[in-house]
Amino acid sequence: MSKKSESKTKALSKKAQEKQKDILEMLKSHGAKIYDDLDNGQFPKFSIPSRSVSNIVYDKKIRQYILGNATALRSSKNTSQLRSFTQLTWLAFFANRLTIEKKSSTLRDIYYSSQAFEIDFEDQGESDSIIVDLEAVTLRAREDFHIFPEERSSIFGDLNIEYTIPGYEGKTMNLSNHPDGYAIGPSLTTAELVDTSAEIVIAIEKGGLFTRFVEEQIDKKFKAIIINTGGQAPRSTRTLLKRLHDEMKLPVVILTDGDVYGEHIAMVIKSGSANAAHLRELTVPDAKWVGVWATDIEKYKLPTIPMTESDIKRCRDLQKDPRYQDGIWKKELDVFLRIKRKAELEAFSKYGLTNITEKYLPQKLELAKSL
Amino acid sequence: MSSIKEQFNQISPSEFFYRNRDLAGFSNPSRSLYTAVREFVENGLDACDQRGILPDIRLTIKAVDPDKPDPKPYILTVKDNGPGIESKHIPLAFGVVLYGSKFGLKQARGMFGLGATMAILYGQITINKPVTIKSSTDGKISDEFELLLDIQKNKPVILKHKTKEVSKKGLSISIFLEGDYSKAGSKIRDYVYQTSLITPYASITFEDPKGEKYHYPRMINTMPKPPTIIRPHPYGVDVETIRRMIVESQFAIPTIDDAMIEKVRKDLGLSKKNFSFTAIMDKARKRWKTLSRQVRVAIALMSFLKMDFEKLNKIRIEDVDVPNKKLVYWDFGDSTSKSVDMDPESQYYKQLANTVQGETLIAFLTKKFQRVGPTTAVKFAKFAGFKPEKRIGTMTNAELAKLSDSLQKFGDFMSPDSSCLAPLGDIPLEKGMRTFFNPDFITVIQRNASAYSGFPFIVEMGIAYGGDITTRGIKVYRFANRIPLLYDEGSDVVLKVVNDIDWSRYKAKGDPPLVIVSHVCSTRIPYKTAGKENVADRPEIERELKLSIQFIARKLSVFMNKRGQAEAAKKRANLYAKYVPLIAQFCTELAGKKKEPNFQKILQEEKPIENE
Repeated sequence: MSKKSESKTKALSKKAQEKQKDILEMLKSHGAKIYDDLDNGQFPKFSIPSRSVSNIVYDKKIRQYILGNATALRSSKNTSQLRSFTQLTWLAFFANRLTIEKKSSTLRDIYYSSQAFEIDFEDQGESDSIIVDLEAVTLRAREDFHIFPEERSSIFGDLNIEYTIPGYEGKTMNLSNHPDGYAIGPSLTTAELVDTSAEIVIAIEKGGLFTRFVEEQIDKKFKAIIINTGGQAPRSTRTLLKRLHDEMKLPVVILTDGDVYGEHIAMVIKSGSANAAHLRELTVPDAKWVGVWATDIEKYKLPTIPMTESDIKRCRDLQKDPRYQDGIWKKELDVFLRIKRKAELEAFSKYGLTNITEKYLPQKLELAKSL
Repeated sequence: MSSIKEQFNQISPSEFFYRNRDLAGFSNPSRSLYTAVREFVENGLDACDQRGILPDIRLTIKAVDPDKPDPKPYILTVKDNGPGIESKHIPLAFGVVLYGSKFGLKQARGMFGLGATMAILYGQITINKPVTIKSSTDGKISDEFELLLDIQKNKPVILKHKTKEVSKKGLSISIFLEGDYSKAGSKIRDYVYQTSLITPYASITFEDPKGEKYHYPRMINTMPKPPTIIRPHPYGVDVETIRRMIVESQFAIPTIDDAMIEKVRKDLGLSKKNFSFTAIMDKARKRWKTLSRQVRVAIALMSFLKMDFEKLNKIRIEDVDVPNKKLVYWDFGDSTSKSVDMDPESQYYKQLANTVQGETLIAFLTKKFQRVGPTTAVKFAKFAGFKPEKRIGTMTNAELAKLSDSLQKFGDFMSPDSSCLAPLGDIPLEKGMRTFFNPDFITVIQRNASAYSGFPFIVEMGIAYGGDITTRGIKVYRFANRIPLLYDEGSDVVLKVVNDIDWSRYKAKGDPPLVIVSHVCSTRIPYKTAGKENVADRPEIERELKLSIQFIARKLSVFMNKRGQAEAAKKRANLYAKYVPLIAQFCTELAGKKKEPNFQKILQEEKPIENE
């Protein structure tokens, strides 16, 4: 390890330490407030930005959904809020432990851990929702508290990283060493991105095609880092995409199924989801959706299946979304609604297994430059 | 009375029965079994009530052949611990249609004691077996009869009569009848259950054909005050009733038989020797003032017949036609009907006229009706267009109709007397409901007496909440004169009033476990239909019911309020007790402290205030 990288690591860990200190102090101040209230014979309470639909607004300037100014008071005196108040206090307490001990936890893990403390979450949905509450109260992403979703997305390509998690500090890795790709988990999203020879990031919706891309050495042919989003991209993946774009200055293109859900997967990577309206730093506004478009279905004569009732309803819902009011987003949505048919990425197999990589992808990457 | 009996005798009771069996509740084997049970049980209860005896009723229904499918023959036995019926009255009481002791005006379960005979008749027609009656009036000797009804002659036929030594008073009646217990069973069980609820001073046992025993023990040991027999109120009588009252008020012309002649002889102080007609009349004139009315009438008749005792023995008086001044008699000697004219100026004529024509209108009104004094009577006579001294016996049918009509229209009669009513009373009602439902809350009300069209009535009502009541929603038990009303619930005025109430206003939201017991007692319940299962919506009754319900509902809402507050406070306290310590535990570590905050302060503040 060179001297240069050594000092960089030190700087890194210092930065991480400061961040940790920040979070711990913030959590402590919340804890102290609750403590003092109880000690003074008062029911503790705090205000929390309202996440109701009416308080989620689209910010054109930063091109994502954000929370409005409405706040809700959550009081432990109110018996209908008492339980969730307790759950939230517990979660802060648990996140505090995770942060101090530098341990990671998944959403599911949180749900199960709660049981040891007589915190009766009814299901994971409820605990997930409390985690979002904690994010909203503290205005920090759950990853800052070492809480991560299940890993289902992966990455492959010539990228050198350096771990920052305890026990692996300073260790480096090249992400093209293992042909199955690397799971995008907390150790990867917190790792320092050292260098890369890649010139583009290709995010694909599906694992099957990701494997094919690795087999066909798309990483080499197109100088690309390939990422499998595993359907709707998890936050860790979106964080990593953002870092690849911002820190490594790599353009991001997205390849999805030719249907309304695919289009929206691309949109969420580009401008976030309403669910995470309370968080920033999760979007890649410059990311480009390159296909499969509705117009591609006609252009490439792809085999199709008819859209379902729910597909059509989803189209109509998205037509009301401010982000779908212009450009290809609006155009493709309109075409989907017109043809009422959809195609999967695998549809290209009709013209041979390599058709998608040899014909479609190059054309689309070329086109992306002009988008 | 004798003339009434003769009229009834002219109708064939079996024909009467067949024409009216639906009306009387004997339309099919299922309904008939139920009706027979009711008639006997209610007779038993009435008999005990009238003598102030705490009733002990035992009802048994047995299938003659249990393996046969329904409908099939059953043996129905009802035993009570009442006063019993004197041996000599038994054949007539149970073997003659329209013989009964319930002609007075007071509240009783059955009317006229007709139903029991109907049940016996139904049993005899379907199975043709005798009825068995065992009765003891002294608790020592029991008379046991087996009777059949001679339907043509409307006469009992005694098949067996024996006496036995017993240790208890009471009456037991047992009949064979065609029934359908598989269909009637649930109604009969409901009937026994509800009867017990409204008769908490009775012990009722029911053994059904399957051998199941339903025993409802006595819940209180005091009898409600028995009703007194009172005279009718002018508003409450129709033409037929007036006619009957007039007949009852007249003195019948005595039958001139051997016993009567013997009595006249004796009262005149004449020996057994034969006296001439003139001698008898002389003697009578001298002794007139000491003579009884009966003897005076006999003398008066003789004065027109101009007969001595010997001749008198050979005739039968057929008619005393006062308005036409004719006396008609049958001569056994030459077997012809003869008549003599009566001199209207004779004092004997006046004697007969008084006897036959009855009292003056004023006397009739003041003596035969409740709460009518001479002043009111005179006022009424003027209103109705009759002379106050008009003899009621001389009234034509048209005049009777006018009298009856005017009685309804006259506005100055006082409101009816309610002493003839026998409400259960609030304490027994509450006690009964408490025992039955073991409720969390109960309240009862007995309204003051009120009246509709001349009939007094009293409404009693109770409401019970929670406890052993598991049904959701409001269950209404309806009673009239201590009889449960089981059929035709939907069209009953009680249900209408209950449903008109906005229960959510009284904090009884959703489907609360509520029971309402409603008891209307009256000398005449205005039933909507002949089936006597639903009370008609007379405005006066509806008003009383409404006031009763509003009263009990207000009490309920006070209870529900307190209960709701107490429950909510308890729930809150439980939640705080569960969660606040957890919050304290987590925030202690979060805040980096060692000792937990003192959260007991807020727990103490939020402790529920205990119910007083």
